[in-house]
Amino acid sequence: MTLVKTPPPLSQEVDLSKTYDAVVVGSGAAGGMAAHVLTEQGMDVLMLEAGKKFDINQIGQELRSMQWPYDHPRRGDAPPGYHSLSFNEYTVRNPPYAKGSTFKHVMSYVGGWGGSDYVKNILVDEKDHPYTGTKYAWVRARLLGGKTNIWGRLALRLSDYDFKGKTHDGYGEDWPIAYADIEPYYDRVDRYLGISGVKENLPHLPDSLFQRPNKLTSAEVKVRESLKKMGRVLTPYRAGVTTDGLKHNKYRSKCYGRGACDRRPGGCDIHAAFDSPTGLIYPSMDTGHLTLRTNSTAHEVLVDKNTGKARGVGFVDTVSGKSLEAKAKVVILAASTLESARLMLLSRSPQYPNGIGNSSGHVGHNFCEHVMGPGVTGLVKEMVGKPPTLDDGRPGGFYIPRFRNLKDKQPDFIRGYGFEGGSGFGIFPGSANGTPGFGAQFKKEVRDHAGAFIGLGAFGEVLARYENYVDLDPDEKDHWGIPTLRFHYQFGDNEKKMCQDMVVAGREMLEAAGIDVIGTDDQILTEGWSIHELGTSRMGTDPKTSVLNQFQQSHDVKNLFVVDGSSHVSASCQNPTWTIMALAWRSCEYLAGEFKKGNL
Amino acid sequence: MTVTRREMLAATAAALAAPLVAPAPAGAAGAAQAAQAARMAPKFFTAPEFALLDELSDLIIPTDAHSPGARVAGVATFIDFRLSESLDTDQQAKWHSGLAAVDTLSQELHGKAFLQGTPEQRLAVLTKMAAGEKDPKTLAEHFFQQLKGWTVRAYYSSKVGIHADQQYKGNVYQRGDYAGYDAT
Repeated sequence: MTLVKTPPPLSQEVDLSKTYDAVVVGSGAAGGMAAHVLTEQGMDVLMLEAGKKFDINQIGQELRSMQWPYDHPRRGDAPPGYHSLSFNEYTVRNPPYAKGSTFKHVMSYVGGWGGSDYVKNILVDEKDHPYTGTKYAWVRARLLGGKTNIWGRLALRLSDYDFKGKTHDGYGEDWPIAYADIEPYYDRVDRYLGISGVKENLPHLPDSLFQRPNKLTSAEVKVRESLKKMGRVLTPYRAGVTTDGLKHNKYRSKCYGRGACDRRPGGCDIHAAFDSPTGLIYPSMDTGHLTLRTNSTAHEVLVDKNTGKARGVGFVDTVSGKSLEAKAKVVILAASTLESARLMLLSRSPQYPNGIGNSSGHVGHNFCEHVMGPGVTGLVKEMVGKPPTLDDGRPGGFYIPRFRNLKDKQPDFIRGYGFEGGSGFGIFPGSANGTPGFGAQFKKEVRDHAGAFIGLGAFGEVLARYENYVDLDPDEKDHWGIPTLRFHYQFGDNEKKMCQDMVVAGREMLEAAGIDVIGTDDQILTEGWSIHELGTSRMGTDPKTSVLNQFQQSHDVKNLFVVDGSSHVSASCQNPTWTIMALAWRSCEYLAGEFKKGNL
Repeated sequence: MTVTRREMLAATAAALAAPLVAPAPAGAAGAAQAAQAARMAPKFFTAPEFALLDELSDLIIPTDAHSPGARVAGVATFIDFRLSESLDTDQQAKWHSGLAAVDTLSQELHGKAFLQGTPEQRLAVLTKMAAGEKDPKTLAEHFFQQLKGWTVRAYYSSKVGIHADQQYKGNVYQRGDYAGYDAT
């Protein structure tokens, strides 16, 4: 095994007197990709990360992917004093959710997945990071690599059904790019980071350059075969996980199917699953062109009074509390959809009274994501009593791509949804909680049924709407005195109608395969639950109705780029991480070219 | 954590090979284990409460021909530890009152405390507690839900539950291909 457990030395003292070629705010999928592309082009890059720095050994000790539940004193739970928000709390209360809480630390719902001890230092403490407005389950991870340390790994491409959605159904705006523009960059992301899956030749879910796929369980094969007759597809989970290994990356091991992926809130301490530090940041540091400063929370993009261009970033050192400035010729925001919007709105100056890059008034608006919650559970009768097999030794189960509003036209809603699902045996027989009774009969029933369930949960496109937005709260501030976001965001009628269809379609697909539906869930989870927030600084050709051009470059400030999910014009129903990285690659390549020509 | 592949293989093999306590026949051996469990001073419960919890958990998930039950898996010890450090005084109070309700119900039905009852009488008490599982009304019925939920969580996350009962195949290095079927 060539896995390197020791990273290059991380700089403790960062020279802030010099002017870097570029400063990147954020170290997740987008920031990591920006660092990779720009350093490869020879640019000197300073990366600011708001959170702490876990080096490669520390993150392993935090995630402890191989730890058996019984070797943990609380079987994975966080120590007393920690609390994870529940669906009920998000539903009956309003943000800021941690205000007045008697718990010492409050985490988002992700901490409650049964493994809060493994993420208590990764998720933000809601007490220090309040927000206000409408109900929203905002999940944030502040540390090197951001949410890529715990992401769900489903790595999908978008298609022209998304990029040209308006052309297809008349709603919203088309993206300023087509699939052909981004396809070469998806290919590069696939090759550089590794992805596993099976080719299906679907126009609405283009194939990647796949490494070895996960296998399916017999129940999943059965549904796959049955769906063929309905013109639908069940495909093995397209996981942003290297299953064959990556010769060019010494920090990542290939997946060996051990199966810790689904019993934690995420995290892979052998780094077979993509995460930004091992996939992008450490290799960038090896070029000698990347300087990293953690515990550095940006609160303003600084502006040159004479030229109106960005001249750097003002930030707080969260350890010393000092306010500092980083100087750079180009400023790249990659702080996440919501944090980048917050940062632009915070950057008010005489030149930019509404916030930098916001002459359109669209920053914070057109905010969209995925709606989730509805799902179906089935019992696969012939699996009852079968001896256990290793079914959770996979980075994911399966994916059923969108099938609505492609050639057909649904009467009640536009756009579509896909299902994520899984089946078979896991480390914990979840059905035990719902099996009635007690005693030997109960125990046998749990044992016999442990591998006999199949579940599907849908992710649907939330339409981008101007009236769904975030702005700055005039009063509320975070732990460092920075004004917080205020949400004005709710699901609409299209999402609600779509969710009703998810339950009907899910049931229909399992029943068609001869599987007994034993449970349906029609509850829509709180806004934000999918952790796929997008669209707050959308791209477009018209500077009056969009914030960025097709290269994620500000229409107003040519040396300002926003390379994260903010730039997406619509949410699609396909998970965004792979598209965030392909777009960032394309934009940063353009950026480097313009920089060399002296155009920025 | 620096682990070579060789060490990792050895470690996981050792974990799997670690001798699990053999299925204990009911009777003398079971009683001996109960006595042993009782000797370890509980941190949260009183000794009589702990003995009652230990017995209740083992009735919910008993030893059978396939695998040991909740007592061998140390379910009561785990619950006791979690409650001993809990900051949730409401929850702690519910455990005390719940266990008391079991004895009260046993007194009503058989005129004696739960652990003084015959195996048949104990079963009758638990059956009555479980009757309202879907829609609990009495204190004892509410307590059954709480007791079973924790027993399930503690048992199936224990060494006995994962390896002996569920015979979980994962969390070990997989040689060659993964289990399952190709999509195509």
